[in-house]
Amino acid sequence: MNILRSTMQAFRRIQVQGLLVAIVVLGVIMSFASDSFLTSTNLINILYSSTILAVVAIGQTFVILVGGIDLSVGSMIALSSVLSVGLVVIGGLPVGLSIVLTLLVGVAFGVAHGLAVTKLNMPPLIVTLASLSLASGLAYVYSGGKNIIPVPEFFRAIANAQMFGGKLPVFIPFAIIIAVISYFVLAKTSFGRMIYAVGGNKTAARLAGIPANRIIIIAFVISSLSAVIGGLMMTVRLQSGSPIIGVGMELTVIAAAVIGGTSLFGGQGNVVGTLLGVILLTMASNAIVLLAIPPNYDKVFTGLVIALAAGLDIYRQRKDTRSMTRLTKRSTTNSVLSDKQTVNKQGA
Amino acid sequence: MTLLQAIDVHKRFFGAVALEGVHFELEAGEVHALLGANGAGKSTLIKIISGYHAPDSGEILINGNSMRTNSPAASHAAGIATIHQEHNLVPHMSVIDNVMLGRWPGRFGVVSVEESRRKAKEAVSRVVPGLDLNLLGHQLTPAEGQLIEIARALSEDARVLIMDEPTTSLSPREVERLFKVMRELKKQGIGIIFVSHWLEEIFEICDRVTVFRDGRYVGREFIKDIDENQLVRMMVNTDVPEVPPVERKPGKEILAVRNLNKTGVLENISFSLREGEILTLAGLVGAGRTELVRCIFGADKYDSGEVLIEGKTIRRNSPSTAVKAGIGFIPEDRKGQGLVGLLTVRENFTLSLLDLVAPGGLIRKDREILISKEQSEAMKVKAASFESNIMSLSGGNQQKVIIGRWLARKPKLLILDEPTKGVDVGAKAEIHRLIGQLAESGVAVLLVTSEMPEVLLLSDRVLVMREGRITSQLNRSELSPERVIRYATTEEVITQ
Repeated sequence: MNILRSTMQAFRRIQVQGLLVAIVVLGVIMSFASDSFLTSTNLINILYSSTILAVVAIGQTFVILVGGIDLSVGSMIALSSVLSVGLVVIGGLPVGLSIVLTLLVGVAFGVAHGLAVTKLNMPPLIVTLASLSLASGLAYVYSGGKNIIPVPEFFRAIANAQMFGGKLPVFIPFAIIIAVISYFVLAKTSFGRMIYAVGGNKTAARLAGIPANRIIIIAFVISSLSAVIGGLMMTVRLQSGSPIIGVGMELTVIAAAVIGGTSLFGGQGNVVGTLLGVILLTMASNAIVLLAIPPNYDKVFTGLVIALAAGLDIYRQRKDTRSMTRLTKRSTTNSVLSDKQTVNKQGA
Repeated sequence: MTLLQAIDVHKRFFGAVALEGVHFELEAGEVHALLGANGAGKSTLIKIISGYHAPDSGEILINGNSMRTNSPAASHAAGIATIHQEHNLVPHMSVIDNVMLGRWPGRFGVVSVEESRRKAKEAVSRVVPGLDLNLLGHQLTPAEGQLIEIARALSEDARVLIMDEPTTSLSPREVERLFKVMRELKKQGIGIIFVSHWLEEIFEICDRVTVFRDGRYVGREFIKDIDENQLVRMMVNTDVPEVPPVERKPGKEILAVRNLNKTGVLENISFSLREGEILTLAGLVGAGRTELVRCIFGADKYDSGEVLIEGKTIRRNSPSTAVKAGIGFIPEDRKGQGLVGLLTVRENFTLSLLDLVAPGGLIRKDREILISKEQSEAMKVKAASFESNIMSLSGGNQQKVIIGRWLARKPKLLILDEPTKGVDVGAKAEIHRLIGQLAESGVAVLLVTSEMPEVLLLSDRVLVMREGRITSQLNRSELSPERVIRYATTEEVITQ
């Protein structure tokens, strides 16, 4: 009785494969269109630019998998940027402590989101929309609306740290490590299984003894924390604590996850898909720069890809539901048949 | 004058018989009760009369004329109106607009406020004289809302009112008011089809009663010619098998429930359940059985009272605590509450076993497969592969997966809420055998079922519930379908 499962997997594969195809096609076109595309500098640049988006989008994937959404990540990036620098420059704290405190702020936001969603039954969209404004506002208030400089020595050191003889920025292996850990957690641990179960059917998960609310809260914490980490990375990259960085990035982050096949209905998706989504979006931005297309077309392209991915998600969802209803009906009425016979009927 | 007749109506859904040759008739100025246990076919007939389903064969006559087209609109046009348990008023519209909904008088689409008010007032004064017509839908009590629905029907010149369990959410005083209105309507020549499970109500308000059982017509009587016992006997299936003898010997107490209360849902529930005993909660749908077992499992909160497992109070009220205390729970709604449809058979098997298959948080797939295999063999689950999607299994096999999920935990107490609902005959027998085995192996079983044969077959002891209370306890030797039905449908509280 593998037909349904394999059709569903096929759909998912189509999306992942489709992404791979899109990435390759775009790569081939670009290597003809621009001489500088297929240089190691540019390719590393694409990877480097992908890292921050990747970290935040992986965090977002956890929230979307449990059936939520986190709109606050862009603002959390800004808040963590001004806090991490400001606590040193204005507050006079040691840089280690400032980073720990910034991470704790992220945890606090994540817990607040999770509690509001699970205990107060507030829609995630509204809760994190409030935080989008709140965190951004706090970032402006704390920084007075200006960039905070100079960044601590530690931030400069990371920016300059290169591996493999000065070729590979440390962000790239760092992002890869985060991706590998997240993949492992989702695919191989009981926590990961609980994430999928809660996102797939919260009631059933809860009645099977899974602490569903706790899982949802943790997912929101992971997302906020990943946004804070993304903010720290952004600060390193731009070498200033800025209240405007990350603004609006939540949409790109959600787009990357959805393009990567994470269902907005929860319960379906994975880290690999999200990473491919990130790379496709970054390549598109890169292409627009290389081809000297006016930068605003970047947004147009992203918008079109999101619409396409969301459409595909809905289409797939309907398809799943429809084939499942059909199948369930058939197998209850024909339950005397063995599974094999049912498959044959299905195939006929 | 005969307003409505249903003659030899047959109806099947996906091969399952819902109605098999039922008859019904309604005279002008009478209240006619439609009575039967759950699944007797009352709702199906009502849906046919109100045009939502077409009968497979048989005839519906309205004022002696055959109803040709079967649609809600046709039935509405023929003067048939349904009054629902929960009213369907538009919350932010006034009583006037709700009564005149969609038929506002006026010209060129401009509503005449005066005309609306006059017509609405006329209709409302027949049911709730003196009600403020400017109140909005959501400001009305459920009882008032129901009466406004009746007013709407009257303003549409309905001759037949179908009232489907209209008293469920009403207080005794509101029930009195509704009955008063019904008596008025009778005088005006309106016929009322009254569906209720409560025998007292039927004896109070109805003129005649038609009884269905398992989709079949049992009989039609004048209320004045019949008594409660006779009516109960008509509702009960006489071919129910003899109660087989008991063999199990219950051991020590596993579950104790003390004075459990939940406002409007459960009232002072106390009972205990022993090792190796099967205790069945019987009663009608809505009697509070599901609510009770959900409270015991921690799925819902209760206001006061205590749940003890082996003498220890369960403090934190949540399913995960209950699972740790050794309780397993098989919910009523398999698809909505039991399965995660996106996951595989294996993943659904181990949904409640993640602590066992993932020591240190790391899932060991070999253990998952082992457990899936053991449970599948024990229960004869038919699945092509454990990696198939769970929805690809038949209802019976899905249910076995959910049961297996709990058996692998070796629970002290297993709660099963309608475990054989929607499963085929073979799987049903398998599940019955399994429940018996469980009890023999010392598990305390708390069973909720609406199927009388199941009650008789499995129970060591039965608690009958009605309106959130336990109305009686029957030991196996006292068990009979008549008794169960009687305690589930009448006021009388028997204390042992």
